[in-house]
Order: sequence, then C-alpha cells, then structure tokens
Amino acid sequence: MQVKHKLVLFLSILLVLLFVSVGVSISLGAAQVDFLSVWQVVLSKLPFMNGVIEQTWADSTETIVWDLRMPRIILAAIVGAALALAGAIYQGVLRNPLADPFILGVSSGASFGAALVFAFGFQVVWLGRFTLPVVAFLFGFSALMVVYFLARVGNKVRMETIILAGVVVQSFIGACLSLVMALSNEQLQTIVFWMMGSLTLTDWSYNQFVFPVILLGTIIALFFTRELNMLGLGEEVAHHSGVSVQKTRFYLLVLASLITGAAVSVSGAIGFVGLVVPHIVRLIVGADYRLILPLSLIGGAIFLVGADAVARTILAPRELPLGVITAFLGAPFFAYLLRKAKRAYF
Amino acid sequence: MLTVSNISKIIDDRKIVDDVSIGVDRGSCVGLIGPNGAGKSTLMKMISGINQPSSGSIELSGKSLTQWSTKQIAKKVAVLTQEGLAAYPISVYDAVLMGRYPHLGFFQRENKSDHDHVNRVLELTGLAEFKDQLLDTLSGGERQRVAIAKAMVQEPELLLLDEPTTFLDIGYQLNVLQLVKDWQRMSNLTVVMVLHDLNLAAQFCDRLILLDEGKVVKEGTNEEVISAETLFDVYHASPEIIRHPRSNIPQILL
Repeated sequence: MQVKHKLVLFLSILLVLLFVSVGVSISLGAAQVDFLSVWQVVLSKLPFMNGVIEQTWADSTETIVWDLRMPRIILAAIVGAALALAGAIYQGVLRNPLADPFILGVSSGASFGAALVFAFGFQVVWLGRFTLPVVAFLFGFSALMVVYFLARVGNKVRMETIILAGVVVQSFIGACLSLVMALSNEQLQTIVFWMMGSLTLTDWSYNQFVFPVILLGTIIALFFTRELNMLGLGEEVAHHSGVSVQKTRFYLLVLASLITGAAVSVSGAIGFVGLVVPHIVRLIVGADYRLILPLSLIGGAIFLVGADAVARTILAPRELPLGVITAFLGAPFFAYLLRKAKRAYF
Repeated sequence: MLTVSNISKIIDDRKIVDDVSIGVDRGSCVGLIGPNGAGKSTLMKMISGINQPSSGSIELSGKSLTQWSTKQIAKKVAVLTQEGLAAYPISVYDAVLMGRYPHLGFFQRENKSDHDHVNRVLELTGLAEFKDQLLDTLSGGERQRVAIAKAMVQEPELLLLDEPTTFLDIGYQLNVLQLVKDWQRMSNLTVVMVLHDLNLAAQFCDRLILLDEGKVVKEGTNEEVISAETLFDVYHASPEIIRHPRSNIPQILL
C-alpha cells in the first residue's frame, strides 16, 4: 500500500514539473510566446477540443508553437523518458551501477548505421526520409544481438561476460565508425554532430515513428518491476522464488535495447540521461523498481526537455549539441547528490 | 514425497554425484552430511531445479521435476541458501511479499489476502516490528530470518536448506533452525538440509544421509550414522562421541 501512495505522490509532482517545463520550453526561443498562448494553442489542438477554444492568437504564433517547437519538445520528452527507462532496466538486469543504455553496444551500432547513411548518402527507396532512423535502429539492435550471443556459454549468459562482450563489440564498431568518418571528408561534421545528439531535424513524423515503439516497450517493461526487484536479491534467490532468470534477463535486455535503439535512431547518442536520471530517482525513493521505472520515465522526460531548452537558447542563435548539455547539467547535480547521500543506495 | 532415483551429475568428466537414490517422507526432516566435495550442494541444486541431472530422475509427489517450469517448482519447493538474501535496500515487508510471486500470474498483482498472509507470517516470525527496515541495514542472521519468512509465505511442500547457518553466530544458528523446526511441525512440511555441523544435524534432523565422493555411504537415524568408525572412514578424523546431557542425542567433540 505504501508503495502505491509513494508512487502517486511522486508521479503527480513529476507530471506537474513535466507540464511546466514543456510550457516554459515552448515559450523560449527567438520569438517569445507568452505562457497562456502556448497552452491555448496546445489545448486547441487536442482532438476533442476542436472549436471549443476561440482563437485569440496570431496564426504565426500557432505555427511557431505547434509546427516548429512542439514536435521537437515532445520528441525530447519521449527520448529522455526512453533513455532513462532503458538505463534503469540495464542497471537492474546487469546489477551494475555503471550500466547505461549504451553499455551493450546499441548506440555504437546505431551510430555506425547512421554514419553509413550520411557518408554514402543512400536512401532506401521505400523508406524515404526514414532511411536514417530505420538503418540506425537495425544496426543498434544487431549490435546487441552480437553482444548477447558472444556472451552465451552453453545456454547461460553471465552478467560479467556480457559487459565484457559489450566492451569488445563497442570497440570494434568504434573502429569501423572511425574508418567511415575518415573516408568521408564532407560529411564528417554531420556525423560528429549526430553522434553528440541533436533534435534539430524534428517534425511530427519523427514522433510518429518512435512513439509507438517506445510506448509498447515501456508498457511491457513496466510489468517486469517485480522481477527486477527479485533479481536485486540475488540470482539464485530470484530463481528459487520462481523467476526464470535467463529468460527474464533476455526479455528485459531486448526491451531496453529496442527502446534505446528507437530513441538513438532519431536523436543520436545523447549520453548521461540513462545513467544519471535512474540514480537520482534511486537516491530519492530507494531501490524499489516499482517506483524507479515509472519515475525514471517522467524524470528523464523532464531532464531532456530542460537540457534541450538550454541547448537551444543559451548561445542562441547557435545551437549546442544536446549531449554536451546533458553532461554539463547532469554531472554536477549527480555529484552533489552523491556527496549528500548518507548511505549506499544501490 | 520426494523420490530421487539413481541421479548422477557429470561435470568435466568427473562424477560429482554418482548414482544417488533418496526417498524422503512427507513431514520428515532429512540432513545431508559429508565432507567437502562430497556432492551435497550439487545434489541440492539438482533437487531445487537450478541444475539438471546428467541421468536419473527426481519426483515430487509422483511428478517428475524436470518437466516443471521454474515457477511451478517454486510453488512446491522453497530454498534457503547460505548467502541468503543479498543486502539490497528494499524493505523487509517487500522482500517477504516476493514469496507470493510463484502464486501470481504475470499480469496479476498481490491482493489483500496476499498482504494479510505476509502480515501473519511477519507476526509469527517476530519480524513485524522490522517490516519497514531495509534489508541492507540488517545483520546476516536477521536477513536469514527474513529469508525464512519469505519461504513461509511461498507455502511450499518441500523446504531445502543449503548450509543456512554457515555465516551465523551460535545464537542465530539455533534461532534459524528452531524457526524452521517450528514451521515444519506446524504445517507438516518436508525438509531436506545440508549441514556441515554434525552436532546441529544430529539435533535437528530425523534422519541423516552421509555422502562421500558423490555416493551415499550411510543412511539412517542419527544413532546409526554418527558412529566412530563411520566418521573415521569418511572424514579421516577420530572425534570423541558423547551423549548430549539433555536430549541424549549423539554429539561429537573434536
């Protein structure tokens, strides 16, 4: 019962914070839009609100809010939520506090796929402009599969082995990536900026592409909170309590990697969200995954919406890479919490 | 209740367990004893479903264990290991509640009767006042009590204990074993335990099975198994055997 109350309390706080930060972020930019108009436009766009709210704003305001800023900010929220959730799952499954969504090579794979698309400028005909995210996603997922089967001994995968396999695959793909970059002089900058994380090229279609994948993955993952808690008590204890440890880990790693792959494919490899947000959540609410997963989800969304707002505005009109901002914001805050924490929390 | 027939386990061409057959009656408590490397833990891991035997069969209430899923086994069999629960920062209540897991479907959450059950067991095991404490703030002995409470909530027919007292002081050794004993009497539970300590084994088990080099060397009551010549054959040591002044059970002095 207690867990339920805690969840409702923290979830409400975070949801309010999320709405505020989305609102603030939309109003920021070259053209200032006041807070009220932002929400009026957004509300008027909801399906059942057609014609309920009278238009008191300029058409240009509507374009700025709904067609330019909103898609990007929603994507920031989705990507942030996805990366934080995936990070929390990886940390739980691998029982390793240093795990992040990229530890098993998903982002290296995706980056390599993206670099190939940039460098050779190809487009798969029937994918059109979705070539980049789809190729990145497939490469990211293949990287995970290679890591997983590399780490398989008999029919068991040990968690230490899988982390080592991740390191091996990451360095190999890293070399391939460097090679592609070295051979593609003109596209070098595009590739580098993509790898640092960016939401620049966003319109609604990217959201439509990633949202279903991430939503489905998230819903399934949220059913695994009990199993994650039991893995925390030890592999054998989980087994004796009725958890099929090998299967559960495989499902969770695949789920987390699908979610990561989808996020990375549209935004590049944005670091630090998946590492820091779940840890901040743990420091505040403890080690119970029934709380960690849903709260990381919303926490990640808030974090990346905020980071994106900073990236867009701090040196405007120049835009900074999102990965740089997440590290700048995340690292000091995390360091502060780490110093403040009085006891071990992982 | 539990019938182990001719099981062997071969790891890297070595027979760790060699053609062992054991029968355990419902409601009895059997102790597996023997020197290091005798195959006790390997045998336990096969009975608890972590490892599959190379040959032979294990039947629980007439059904072969190898055909069951992990969850189905957990409904019938609970296990206490020597490490017990990891020092993971989750509350005693939530840890004990996990014992209900094998009885719930994937989409099913714990209902009121599950929570009532947990509260009852917490009262019974004297853990009620600790229920909000986190596991990492408890001592090894206290965590082992939580592990027993969790196993009780699991409502198994068979309880396996793999050296549950190894890391505990004598106070908690007796405490933990007494808790198991009380539970056994209360619910006609079948218990199989591996114990290194022959004195504890003789006091808490109805029957003892002595293993050496993967084979059953001797099986019987504590009177029959704890004898000078048997112990010398297996352990190559000659301890003094005396009677416990209160219970008259054979005990060894080193």
